[in-house]
Amino acid sequence: MAESIKNKNIEIVGFACSYCSFKASEMAGSLRMKYPEGVKLIEVPCSSRVDPAFIIKALIEGADGVFVAGCHPGDCHFIKGNYYTRRKIAALKEMFNAFSIDGRLRLFWVSASEARRFVDKVTDMYNNIKEKKK
Amino acid sequence: MKGKELKSRDIDSLFNGFLRDEGSIILGFKKDTITIGHHVFKGNIKDFSLINPFFNANGALYFRRLFSKGSRLLFVLRPCEIRAYVELIKLTQMEREGMIAISVDCPGTESVKETKGMTSLPEDIRDYFKEDTPKRWACINCREKRGVVGDGGIRLDKDFNMWIIPYTEKGEALIATLEGEWTDVPQDMAIKQDKEPEVFKTDLDMLKKDLSKCILCMNCRDMCPVCYCVDCVFNTDEYLPKGDALLNKILRTGEVDLPQGKELFHLIRMYHVSQTCVGCGACEEACPQGIPLTKYFKGISERLQGLFSYMSGRDFNEPIPYTTFKEDELKNAED
Repeated sequence: MAESIKNKNIEIVGFACSYCSFKASEMAGSLRMKYPEGVKLIEVPCSSRVDPAFIIKALIEGADGVFVAGCHPGDCHFIKGNYYTRRKIAALKEMFNAFSIDGRLRLFWVSASEARRFVDKVTDMYNNIKEKKK
Repeated sequence: MKGKELKSRDIDSLFNGFLRDEGSIILGFKKDTITIGHHVFKGNIKDFSLINPFFNANGALYFRRLFSKGSRLLFVLRPCEIRAYVELIKLTQMEREGMIAISVDCPGTESVKETKGMTSLPEDIRDYFKEDTPKRWACINCREKRGVVGDGGIRLDKDFNMWIIPYTEKGEALIATLEGEWTDVPQDMAIKQDKEPEVFKTDLDMLKKDLSKCILCMNCRDMCPVCYCVDCVFNTDEYLPKGDALLNKILRTGEVDLPQGKELFHLIRMYHVSQTCVGCGACEEACPQGIPLTKYFKGISERLQGLFSYMSGRDFNEPIPYTTFKEDELKNAED
């Protein structure tokens, strides 16, 4: 993409399930925990709402990383949504491996009460990508 | 496995018998003195050909949103075309009711593009199986050349005797109309099982280099038999904006290369067809720029299907991996 985007700070797009991961991020806010500013969260009704096309588009159009965060397998509000997510994201990761794109896509399971876990995972991803970009 | 031996004159009697009913149709290949290609037969099967040595389009392309409406349809096509048909049934783009699919052993095909039209059609079926004819990349690396998919298959043993074998009840009902005894089919066939494909590995720069010729005509999408969405995401202004929407995007985000989004288009399409791609190479055949698309689409789809031990078009009852799941799998998917 354009140079102006390349020189910017690291930007990570996150798709967060509104029933758990997004709630966890809100809880992290109310508990005054900090996670990097470059992480832009998008609330989705369920992690299986994320079409891999969204992820590919985000990465090609300039995002440094993308993560998908959903409920733990078995805890989905819609009973089985995150099982589909797991298959779809695993396949997408396999495709990125085939194209030698590593570490730019991650999948997290974070429940609504796990604010600390959310912050840790996101910060770790941010630092990882930042190190690679140097 | 039980089957019946199929003599040349039996082909006529079998298919003409099928067409005797009003409202019965056969889709197969028609060969006359000038050309050979897909043809819909009604009434009788004049100039019928089992094998077409030239590839121009995947026959399953014509099946999309096809519903039999009480008529009987019989497809006598290549394995890759029948595999795409099986996938379209699983995707509920077709109705299986009233349709019978017979796959025919395929010796591999030649690109119509390179031969500049269809020339020299051999009379004898053996001539199609000669090794020295030039083949398309997709056919050399084909995963299933045997007629073992669909409701039935026409196969050749090593002496080039034809055998017709049922795989489902529908196929059995059709073959029952043929005279002759049910006998054991010989094990040794003219076309052997293909070896397992190697794990595909490339990088983004290679893709960018190959796609540098792309003009985003989207012919590859239009000719793909399993790329079936009526409202493709690329028909809107969301993914590949045009005109005003493009200007707005440039003002908002910065400069872009034109035509924009070549990698985006192909990567998203590659993912969307990953579990259903049959590797027929129709996309490459349709590309006016001659981009080696099959290499990527076939490689990626085989790799992604391997993740779920799936093979597109192998079985009517095997669900497409993205539409199903197991609770206990992919333990290392989470980071």
